[in-house]
Amino acid sequence: MLRTKRFTPYLFVAPMWALLLFVFGYPIVQIFNFSTRRIRGATGPFIGLENYRQIFTDDIFILSVKHNAMLLLAVPILIVIALVIAVFLYERVTGWRFYRFLFFVPYVIAIPVIGHVFSNLLSLNGAVNELLRSIGLGVLALDWLGSEKVALWTLMGVIIWREAGFGIVLFLARLLSLNEELLDAGKIDGANWLQRLWYIIVPELMGVIEFYAVICVITMAAWVFGFVFVMTHGGPANATQVMELYIWKYAFRIQLPGIASAVAVILFLITLAAMVPLFYLRYKDEGTEASA
Amino acid sequence: MTNPKNRSVSRRDFMKLTAAGVAAAGVGSVLAACGAQPAPTEAPAATQAATAAPTEAPKAGETLKCWWWGEQEAPGVENWINETVAMFKEETGHTIETTLQDTGVVISEFQTASAANSAPDIQFVWNGVYQMEAAWLGYFEPLDGLIDAKMLEDASPTCMNQYEGKTYSTAWYSCGIACAYNKEMFDKAGLDPEKAPETFEELMDTCDKLKSLDVIPMSAGMKDTFWSEWYHGHALSPNLDTPADALKLYAGEGLDWRDPRYYDVWTKLGEIWNAGNINDDMLSIDLYPAIDLFGTGKAAMTWLVVPLLNAQKEMLGGEIMGVFPYPMSGQGKLNNWPVLDTNGWGISAQSEKKDIAVEFLKFMQRPERITAVWDSSKALPTTKSWPGGEVIKDPWWLDVWEKYIHGPTAQYVPDMMPGLFWSDANLVNAQKTITGELSPEECGENAYQVVQKWREQSPDMLEKYALWAESMEKVWNEKYV
Repeated sequence: MLRTKRFTPYLFVAPMWALLLFVFGYPIVQIFNFSTRRIRGATGPFIGLENYRQIFTDDIFILSVKHNAMLLLAVPILIVIALVIAVFLYERVTGWRFYRFLFFVPYVIAIPVIGHVFSNLLSLNGAVNELLRSIGLGVLALDWLGSEKVALWTLMGVIIWREAGFGIVLFLARLLSLNEELLDAGKIDGANWLQRLWYIIVPELMGVIEFYAVICVITMAAWVFGFVFVMTHGGPANATQVMELYIWKYAFRIQLPGIASAVAVILFLITLAAMVPLFYLRYKDEGTEASA
Repeated sequence: MTNPKNRSVSRRDFMKLTAAGVAAAGVGSVLAACGAQPAPTEAPAATQAATAAPTEAPKAGETLKCWWWGEQEAPGVENWINETVAMFKEETGHTIETTLQDTGVVISEFQTASAANSAPDIQFVWNGVYQMEAAWLGYFEPLDGLIDAKMLEDASPTCMNQYEGKTYSTAWYSCGIACAYNKEMFDKAGLDPEKAPETFEELMDTCDKLKSLDVIPMSAGMKDTFWSEWYHGHALSPNLDTPADALKLYAGEGLDWRDPRYYDVWTKLGEIWNAGNINDDMLSIDLYPAIDLFGTGKAAMTWLVVPLLNAQKEMLGGEIMGVFPYPMSGQGKLNNWPVLDTNGWGISAQSEKKDIAVEFLKFMQRPERITAVWDSSKALPTTKSWPGGEVIKDPWWLDVWEKYIHGPTAQYVPDMMPGLFWSDANLVNAQKTITGELSPEECGENAYQVVQKWREQSPDMLEKYALWAESMEKVWNEKYV
């Protein structure tokens, strides 16, 4: 048997650790550092938690957190839509390959392109409303992006339209590796389509669903900047303001990177809080499987 | 015996090869970076020499970086840039490497690059605080002493690029704001096509008459936010006595947004919107498509900037476009003054080739180059000595130049607005006025609160703003009072 000294393996992984610390660790430490300073240019004086006090007393920040929280409502919608469509495709409906392609296309289109196209389609006198008016449904022709009441929901709809594609492909890939005997057994036992979905498919897909849910939570909390920036700029009147845009505003528009960093720290901690339970569950599951 | 060529690559081999490749690349980069650093004793000396002796003949064949913006606003200036750079190279042997910046990064990119000690030698600048914030951080070199005082005065038509007696940029082209109207539509609506409205009441009456033609009286788009700034530039000046009053308002030094005279900006916006005089999709379309509603004959009037006049005039297809200052009927001494703004050029304090950068700035100010700005883009130069009266042959343009550039003009006050005021007061108030969520009084209160927030967040800026207001008032009084 090959004998190695106790620390030898650590020496081998040390370069990778050093690289990871430099690429990820250093910026994170710097963001924490910046969040306690009034940065002008490259540095600034230490001001303790003043930046945090500023943001927690700012109504617009509170509003942006609320909007990110509202966008989380899209997560269960995304999971349900992706799951149902994936199951339909799995059942080989006619033309399922074409539909699979069609559903995945939005996911590969760049967000600025999607944002620009939908901005034009959804303006008050855009194509969508013109169509509604032409078929006598003018009452439904809302100011999708220009009204404070509906702009966030419109944004959410566009995000769902794009992000569902990833879930569909993810779930379908898992479904295709499913042991079909399980579903056949369910059929023989008299389980209907919904029962098979609920009692067989969902439990079998639970690992992938958990993963997709976490990805969606992270997307809604920290990955919607592109949509918001292109489609609404956070408006009208902050109706679609989100934390990422708030960070951008303070970093580049207001030129107070200290406050932007404080919000980035909060966003980082929120994202971490979403990821840790998943890793814990995974760890627990793996432990249970190993002991079984 | 196994042929080494046929031997398969194991995972361990692959990892080894990858590690070796990454290490080689890393070592190479580190060595290159070390080699690129100037010796610590050399850099200050070089900078000192460059600063101390700007008139010495520069070494031939140097390369300078220049970041610029403008093609988006004044189509055609890119040709001017390329031509100027080529001519400069031919005359001096120096290369100017140009990079056209995106609108979204003009403010931040130079500051970020300066913080990382990698700023370009020459930087395009928007006027006022956009340059001043960087100048206060020491990122821009004052041009006094580097450029002849007479030339500097000639190339500084507004006083927003000056602080404590120092000038930080030379002008390029005018980007003042104006309103445009369609004379044919005026005629059809029974209005005098040669007389634009001069008071707010006349403007409202004009809009009423234009509605009978089934056209949009005035077009505007605020989804991408910029219109709110333009409107603020149109609407605040008429209620100010000097441009320095705007600084006092933005910094909360002596003037108060809760005074009806100042929140009149949003009072009048509410009135014109509530009367149905602006397109109903104003909050869901962007600035430029809204302006094009005017050029395509769907709107009778619009707000725009001087460099866009030519494009709109051509879209309308002739001389049927008239130009006028937005009639606010304000209470200030600046009421009805046309608003002038200018973009310009500054030199990075980090540049080690300031002497060449200065030469390039001077080169751009040559009369022939100034005229070429006009020829290439129909953007009007703002250099005071430029003989526009002789160069411009078209009476329509001559009238615009005389009114908006050559005569007395007010400053474009949003150039003095802190970023926080821009986003949380100027934009939010305008949008909430349109949605009906805020009354004019509430807009004034919100603006006041935003100023207080800015004072808390930026205590280091208060003194700078106060000094800036003081020096601006002095320059203004010397010029006009």
